[in-house]
Amino acid sequence: MTAAPIDLGPKMTFGRLIGAYLSDAKYESIRLFRTPAFATPILAMPIIFYTIFGIALNGGPNRPPGFADMMFVGWTVYGVMGPGLFGFGILVAVERNMGLLTYKRAIPMPAGSYLAAKLMMAYVFAIVVMVMLVTAGLTIGHVTLPPLKLLTVAAVMSLGVIPACAIGLFIGAWAPASSASAIANIVYLGMAFLSGLFFPLNGFLHDIRVIWPTYHLKQLALASAGAPSEGTVLCHVGVLAAISGVLILLAARKLARRG
Amino acid sequence: MAKDGGQTSEALARLSGVKKRYGATVALDGLDLEVRPGELLSVLGPNGAGKTTAIALMLGLQVPDAGEVSLFGRSPHDLAARRNVGVMMQEVALPDALTVRDLIGQTCAYYPAPLTLAETIALAGVEKIATRPYSKLSGGQKRQAQFALAICGRPRLLFLDEPTTGLDINARETMWACVRNLVGAGTAVVLTTHYIEEAEALADRVVVMAKGHEVAQGTVRDMRALVSRKRIDCATSLTLAKVQAWTEVSAATLGDNGQLAITTADAEAVVRKLLAADPDLKDLEVRRAGLSEAFAELTQEPAQ
Repeated sequence: MTAAPIDLGPKMTFGRLIGAYLSDAKYESIRLFRTPAFATPILAMPIIFYTIFGIALNGGPNRPPGFADMMFVGWTVYGVMGPGLFGFGILVAVERNMGLLTYKRAIPMPAGSYLAAKLMMAYVFAIVVMVMLVTAGLTIGHVTLPPLKLLTVAAVMSLGVIPACAIGLFIGAWAPASSASAIANIVYLGMAFLSGLFFPLNGFLHDIRVIWPTYHLKQLALASAGAPSEGTVLCHVGVLAAISGVLILLAARKLARRG
Repeated sequence: MAKDGGQTSEALARLSGVKKRYGATVALDGLDLEVRPGELLSVLGPNGAGKTTAIALMLGLQVPDAGEVSLFGRSPHDLAARRNVGVMMQEVALPDALTVRDLIGQTCAYYPAPLTLAETIALAGVEKIATRPYSKLSGGQKRQAQFALAICGRPRLLFLDEPTTGLDINARETMWACVRNLVGAGTAVVLTTHYIEEAEALADRVVVMAKGHEVAQGTVRDMRALVSRKRIDCATSLTLAKVQAWTEVSAATLGDNGQLAITTADAEAVVRKLLAADPDLKDLEVRRAGLSEAFAELTQEPAQ
């Protein structure tokens, strides 16, 4: 016997619904800025590594032309991947484990708000990282790109947040909470070095560099800077979109099956 | 004990003939349960009775293998239905770095017409912990914070799964008073609990579950009457074994102070035998069994 629907009282207005999404994004960002174990490596590592390896240890005036620009591009790719990868990779795995996801499903959190909040959080963190890298590049980085080009690179790089979130979500959905952090770190560093972000590759590693999303991001960044790059913009965007799509689908399947 | 009678269209939440198994374990085996507007329904039962599964089904967290589930006459997956519901779950770890205020603010945003932050804090009695991060709260304070989140959306139906576990007496009294106020204002509450006194203190109606079935339902008084056992306490030189051997005695235990505690359906006969067998018997006390004894007995004999 199906019961007659019961009057549900006040309706959720569109404004309040948008408000719920924004509030989730706000609190997700607030809590991660307040969590040093998360915020410190995500925010500090790119600028520290860039300053040490990209600026200080790279030969001063003897560096080859365009080298400083290459370093800048490489470290922006590195920096922009972090928030999404760790924000989703570690947090989804942990929150799945601690029952938060189940709780959020029981209370009337709008569908998609959980992931949308993390995506927006990743953007907020990525913007902070980018501001630091651009500032360092312009002031001490010997970058030869004009400031406007630098900002273009940074803007194009923000595209990288999406594949980073997709990879993170995939890890978060499938990895056990206890090993998600280690897996995310290995994937992060592995992708950075194996795709030739910071130095040229040889042999087999060079041949398979196209499998890494970071490779495609770097080419997009180079293209937007007007520097020599491999492949076409359409191809890189297509590959990044395809990788993101597949990983999100696989993650969604797992998350739908059990909290 | 009318169940499927004329009240069907009024139930805020209903399970009809619901079956649910996890692998080889049967969690619910044809359970019927309905929550009526404004009532405080207490669901009692030992661990593994299926209480938490029943709530998970009503919230749409699980899908039944058979039977029907409705929440406000709709699917529990309908967000519009869940916007009338507040939830306090048994095992949940909320974001550590957010304060109680933050958590309330975040949860309020999910509801169409929630209480204000200040109203929620006052109603739940969490003034002292409002600005503290969740990670800095004790176990009991975390339960209080979770309670605040459950009530902040002005729910018409509130699910409280073992809400007072780990609370000190004051906090428990505060929560009980708040629950009573909410029920007085028309909120329906589903309360699962291990604490019999909690059901006795709050519930309009009690459902006792065991092994995925409902074994009894009614008012607290009905429950006690249903099992018309009495409890006899006395100090005696008789051995436990001897008393246990009497046919009228359904259970007998020896307390720390040497006091014998006997549960029986025929108190008069047992008292007569006790006095005959031990003329020096002292401290004799006979009283009606509490819900605790009634509950223990009901769940031992599930199929009726």
